[in-house]
Amino acid sequence: MSAARPTAASPTTARPTAAQITAARPLREHTASILVAALSSAFGVSLLETVSVLTTAIAADDVTGASATVASLLPIAAVVFLSVAVYVGAVVTANSFQTIIAGRTRAIALRRLLGSEARTERASIVREGLLIGLAGSILGALGGTVVTVLLIGTCVGAGFLPDLPYAPLTPVVGLPVVAVALSTWAASWVGSRGVLAVTPIQAIAAALPSDQREAAGGPARAAVALALFLGGDILLAAGVFVGLGDPRGVLVALLGGIVSFLGVIVGANRVLPVILSAVGRLFGSGPTALVASRNAVRNPERSARSTVGLLIGVTLITTFAVATAGFQQMIRTAQAAQPEVYEGVDRMLVSTVVVFSALMGFSALIAAVGLVNTLSLSVLQRTRELGLLRALGFTRGQLRRMIVAESTALTLSAVVLGVALGTFYGWAGAQSLLGGIAGSPGLVAPTVPPGLVAALAVAAALLTLLASLAPARRATRVTPTVALAAA
Amino acid sequence: MTPETLTPPVPARQHLNASHRAPIAETLNLSKSYGADSATVSALRNVTLRLEAGSFTAIMGPSGSGKSTLMHIMAGLDDATSGTVALGGTDITRLDDRALTLLRRRRIGFVFQSFNLVPTLDVRQNILLPYELDGRRPDAAETARMLALVDSLGLTARLGHRPHELSGGQQQRVAIARALVTRPELVFADEPTGNLDSKTSRDVLGLLANASREHGQSIAMVTHDPIAASFADRIVFLADGRVVDDRGPSSAHEISRLMLDLEVAA
Repeated sequence: MSAARPTAASPTTARPTAAQITAARPLREHTASILVAALSSAFGVSLLETVSVLTTAIAADDVTGASATVASLLPIAAVVFLSVAVYVGAVVTANSFQTIIAGRTRAIALRRLLGSEARTERASIVREGLLIGLAGSILGALGGTVVTVLLIGTCVGAGFLPDLPYAPLTPVVGLPVVAVALSTWAASWVGSRGVLAVTPIQAIAAALPSDQREAAGGPARAAVALALFLGGDILLAAGVFVGLGDPRGVLVALLGGIVSFLGVIVGANRVLPVILSAVGRLFGSGPTALVASRNAVRNPERSARSTVGLLIGVTLITTFAVATAGFQQMIRTAQAAQPEVYEGVDRMLVSTVVVFSALMGFSALIAAVGLVNTLSLSVLQRTRELGLLRALGFTRGQLRRMIVAESTALTLSAVVLGVALGTFYGWAGAQSLLGGIAGSPGLVAPTVPPGLVAALAVAAALLTLLASLAPARRATRVTPTVALAAA
Repeated sequence: MTPETLTPPVPARQHLNASHRAPIAETLNLSKSYGADSATVSALRNVTLRLEAGSFTAIMGPSGSGKSTLMHIMAGLDDATSGTVALGGTDITRLDDRALTLLRRRRIGFVFQSFNLVPTLDVRQNILLPYELDGRRPDAAETARMLALVDSLGLTARLGHRPHELSGGQQQRVAIARALVTRPELVFADEPTGNLDSKTSRDVLGLLANASREHGQSIAMVTHDPIAASFADRIVFLADGRVVDDRGPSSAHEISRLMLDLEVAA
């Protein structure tokens, strides 16, 4: 045993060992979360700075007839879009943390076995969350400010904005920075809940696949999910009702949408596996389709985590598209009824849609970053499982087809559920904002733009495939024996 | 196979050699069963066992005999269905998770089949992990003892290496150093040679035997390898969740024969 040369796992091996593939690399694992925090913070800071600049510009411009109204509406819009971005960022980050912890189960179990307390383990992960939140939000604030200043300079230079002494850096821009840091911290706390369920014995009981120990959650969790979902829906209905007389109904509806979607996330581990498995059965009964379909139900938490990232993106875009379509339809109807009030509204409509699309696109980008991260991490974490299938005789091609089948089922499920939820949320949003305008038709039916749904499905499918196939190729590059030896 | 080897194993008897010594661990009527009433599977049935301080005990038995379950329960990693486990006088079946965690941290050491080193830490950090988890730095005396231990295990030149740069035998020696460094009351070794070649196995077992003989370290080793068990100074045989034999130092041949009898009787 003098072993001057390493023999068991030589570092000179050309192929990566399974341990090297799945080993915890904190910075790599957290890159996406830092990026998400930075994007949210940059967006929030830039948004508020822009609002401050526009308010200055509008105040200086006496000609704008409705300047007071526009100035008062700007902060409401800013609050709505900022809340959505912070919320999406928090959900995505909580999801990333859950995925990271699932991958660290064995390492955490080992430390628990050697005498580390569960709370200590969780606290150290939450500390990582706080650091990520601080780093991301500060980086984002700097980036957002630079972009805004450049943008103002360009607009002034091109003559879109009057040349005034703007002061974009108002104290209020500190709000998104703090909100993002705190929400990232909170998300890491929520997402690290799973640490408490790791038992020390998981470090030695090699025969027990760790994924089966992830409990599906008790009836209490299902009850909370249902209560949140229904409570949120009641708030949405209340928002629509308030909106019939007051545009501030949209704030009630926003809260309702957030609470309702929270219910969907909490209950996702019950609802999504069933949908995924049902969709998976559409791909026939070959071995790849069968295993892919079973995988969705076998580990409900993992299925839920992977799908929620896409679901929130699809829901968000559909909500916005349906809300915009409803918004246009209601204004047009009102315009037809009282043309004198809505003279020249068409230009305003077009520019509003463009600006709002850009604002919502930012939140969709945040969701996409989270989706790609969660999916690729969870595929990498399955190195051992993929190795087992290889050892049982699956070819690399079959494994790839299995991953494609899983991704397709995931995309279809998220698109179907997300479009359904988004249609409801978007309709409630438009209705609660404009239900009470002069010449309003009152309640209208929701409009779902079919082109958008198709584009959404294609984009989602591409993103999911991209996020899962590359890591799957990496995970199957090791030989089955090495993969099986991976913790 | 002669008819003689087919005779049932000798009935369990108390191991007398060291029974005058204080017990470091003691189980009383320990039982463990899984599943609901109709489909109950018993992993342990009324196991009563005393491990003396300073002894190196091997717990042997065929697959499914309950030896791993026994170790898990004695180390506070799993609950017993009935019966008690005392460790150094503490009834651990009544402890909550926090107390059990502190017990594992300060009073128990572990050596595993798959080494279980932390891949991101170097050898020194891995060995000192028990202190880190305890939120303190080793004092001068503890550091000196750690270095002496590292030296006796032949790891001095490896302190700055990461686990993946070491051979299997070296990794297992690091794991042994980690288990011994805090001088725990009892070290549990779970198939410590399961992933090693024959020669490396003998080296590792010699180190464990030496820790017990020279430094009075109590060790309980779960194994199904007769050669590994032949290094112990007491061998407890389990079959079907019961203690079926309990004997002093034995040769690998004797142990093999007993194991074979147990397999055939099963």
